[in-house]
Amino acid sequence: MAEDLGKIAESLIAGKVEDVDKMTKESLDAGVSAEEVLNKGLIAGMDVVGQRFKAGDMFIPEVLRSAKAMSAGMEHLRPALAESDTKQAGTLVIGTVEGDLHDIGKNLVGMMFEGAGFKVVNLGIDLKPQVFVDAVKEHKPQLLGMSALLTTTMPKMGETINALKEAGVRDQVKIMVGGAPVTEEYAKEIGADLYGANAASSVDKGKAALGL
Amino acid sequence: MEKMNQTIQKTPVFRVLTDQQIEKIYYSALEVLERCGANVFQDEAIELFKNSDAVVRENRVRVPVSLVERALKTYPNKITLKGRNGKRSVALQKDHVYFGTGSDLPFTYDRETGERRRTLYKDIVNAARFVDYLPNYDFFMSHGIVGDAPNPLTYDRHQFMAMLEGCTKPMVVTSVDGEGLEDLWKMACLFQGGEEEFRLNPMFVAYIEPISPLTNDRTAVEKLLFAAEKGIPAMYTPCPSSGATAPATIPGMLVQSLAETLLAVVLCYLKKPGMPLIMGGVTTVMDMRTTTYSYGSPELSLASAANTDISKWLGLLMFSTGGCTDSKTVDEQAAAESTLSVLNAFLSGANLVHDVGYIDSGVNASLESLVMNEEIIGMVRQIGKGINTDPEYLALQLIDEAGPGGEYVTKDHTYEHWREWYFPKLQDRSDWETWCNNGKKTMLDRVKEETHRILDEYEPEPIDDGIRKELKKIIDDAEKRHSK
Ligand code: B12
Repeated sequence: MAEDLGKIAESLIAGKVEDVDKMTKESLDAGVSAEEVLNKGLIAGMDVVGQRFKAGDMFIPEVLRSAKAMSAGMEHLRPALAESDTKQAGTLVIGTVEGDLHDIGKNLVGMMFEGAGFKVVNLGIDLKPQVFVDAVKEHKPQLLGMSALLTTTMPKMGETINALKEAGVRDQVKIMVGGAPVTEEYAKEIGADLYGANAASSVDKGKAALGL
Repeated sequence: MEKMNQTIQKTPVFRVLTDQQIEKIYYSALEVLERCGANVFQDEAIELFKNSDAVVRENRVRVPVSLVERALKTYPNKITLKGRNGKRSVALQKDHVYFGTGSDLPFTYDRETGERRRTLYKDIVNAARFVDYLPNYDFFMSHGIVGDAPNPLTYDRHQFMAMLEGCTKPMVVTSVDGEGLEDLWKMACLFQGGEEEFRLNPMFVAYIEPISPLTNDRTAVEKLLFAAEKGIPAMYTPCPSSGATAPATIPGMLVQSLAETLLAVVLCYLKKPGMPLIMGGVTTVMDMRTTTYSYGSPELSLASAANTDISKWLGLLMFSTGGCTDSKTVDEQAAAESTLSVLNAFLSGANLVHDVGYIDSGVNASLESLVMNEEIIGMVRQIGKGINTDPEYLALQLIDEAGPGGEYVTKDHTYEHWREWYFPKLQDRSDWETWCNNGKKTMLDRVKEETHRILDEYEPEPIDDGIRKELKKIIDDAEKRHSK
């Protein structure tokens, strides 16, 4: 069986989405525990992807393929993992704040989090604070990500945090902010928990903050 | 005696696409507009398209070729811009190249701390002064974004005011929305002698962008329609990043961004045929290691030059990009990248080359970068002078006179012609000892000194008190409207 899980890891590294999808399901059907498939298959593969990316041996298009494969595999594992109480990456809700239409950066962050095993709810762009509040209530995420690419829309991130406070759900999530004009200091100023300068480092910080 | 059948190339000739390649790209863009179309999120525009031959399904607009081709015939081949001092100094026409800054950089390199900080009103006034002072800059975009304006919905008025304070040259302006553009236009009309005069002597071009791929948001379209209505020159400049918001192949990116441009070509035509629309495009790649939208890639230069070839073929004026870098600071990388894109944009014959001086991938502003690029543009313009092969320049007589083993330094011919060379201001060509005695300064040291000198010394022509009052009134009114 370990050999098969190694193959899942290999396929994931190679970005073979359909293979990972199929093999994950087959392993579960064959009675391998979800936890084992996760750790020895998917995460084992994603760890290599992460290392290679950092070493400059893998690039975004390849990493995102692997992330997609991870996400496909996770679809199968999530229900079983929940049942077995295994510690797993949770949910990230992410969106671009009101008045701001920039979306590539935010989308890339979302995809990278999928690669780390998160379930990602991408709310879109130009979102009023209430939309974030509603999404936090509905999806009960561990992480909430807000993107702003304009100095003129950055204040909306603070407003959204206030709206979350008023709705009494602020403390249920770790809030992570990012975007070109956003800085670590600004994140602190508005009471966010984390600042992410780019997609890869955001995932590292997000995982660390959740103790993953 | 002059020879028959001669062709003289007065300046370098540079093309990256043949007519046949352009046709392929153009036909493909037409196909995109008929087959896929674009999303338009603005009511008036949707109505205009509905009342035309376009096919509209909710917000998706598809446009037949015939309509595109009818629209394309209506655009002016020449637009002359006049600065606030009354000089008609920028005459946009095929293959006439003008250089200027970019806009809205959220951060500014602070020369006191050496760190970056938020851009403030005073930084924009300073950038304006530099562009006013440095002769190789022809037009001004704000360089930075005013971080200390009272309201994000009216910052553009303050920004324009800061630009006017420091600079008398023609401008390219960014605005919050249609209402913002209207205020900027009113402000400019104060200098130009009213709305009608502005139409003949526009002071600025409005910078507007679609969202790649193939999306047109409400405020962008609102601005475009306002510009069309009032005859304000405008560019609708796609900013695709190859591999992220456009195909990873340059031709694919060009097809998509041309389709985006052609949609605006049709829309402006439907609103008001003949409005002065300028083609644009910041066409580059997303760096696949860092996700950065690259301002220093060779692909930016190549794709931009290709876009300029396309614009000339279409008979549209072109807004292009150069003099910018991904480097976080003014260093060797900044110099190399800036030079590459300035040279390519210049040789391609683009009309307005913007973003000169951008560092940190369009996030950070630096006066030093403006000063360094002044030198780069100077060198590049020299290449543009090309080679003159008239007898005076072949200098046969002179070579004969000097003879084998002779000299040229003292000749009249030298005295008359050496000034045609480029004379660097900040580049060092001295000998080792002189260089050591002068403190072993690097290019960056000299750039910094020159930056300080200009900052300390240069005073632009002030704005007339009467006009200043009226400008203030427009800004105050906007603040009042938005404070409710
Ligand atoms: C492409 C672009 C656009 C495109 C966006 C298309 C799209 N689909 O997103 C278009 C053309 C539509 C656009 C429009 C405008 N833009 Co723009 N744009 C850019 C540009 C050049 C690149 C952005 C980009 O895509 N980068 C690549 C992505 C992958 O990187 P990223 O977004 O930074 O994301 C990474 C990190 O920041 C981080 N991150 C991002 N979000 C998040 C969120 C979380 C939770 C975390 C953890 C991390 C994180 O991780 C990401 C991945 O590594 C930037 C310049 C720049 N270098 O940022 C200007 C820039 C952001 N734009 C700017 C401006 C001014 C505008 C306009 C106002 C222009 C105008 N006057 O019309 C409009 C505004 C429209 C609106 N209301 O939003 C200014 C901002 C100035 C300011 N006010 O602060 C910039 C800085 C350029 C400039 N100097 O003028 N723009």
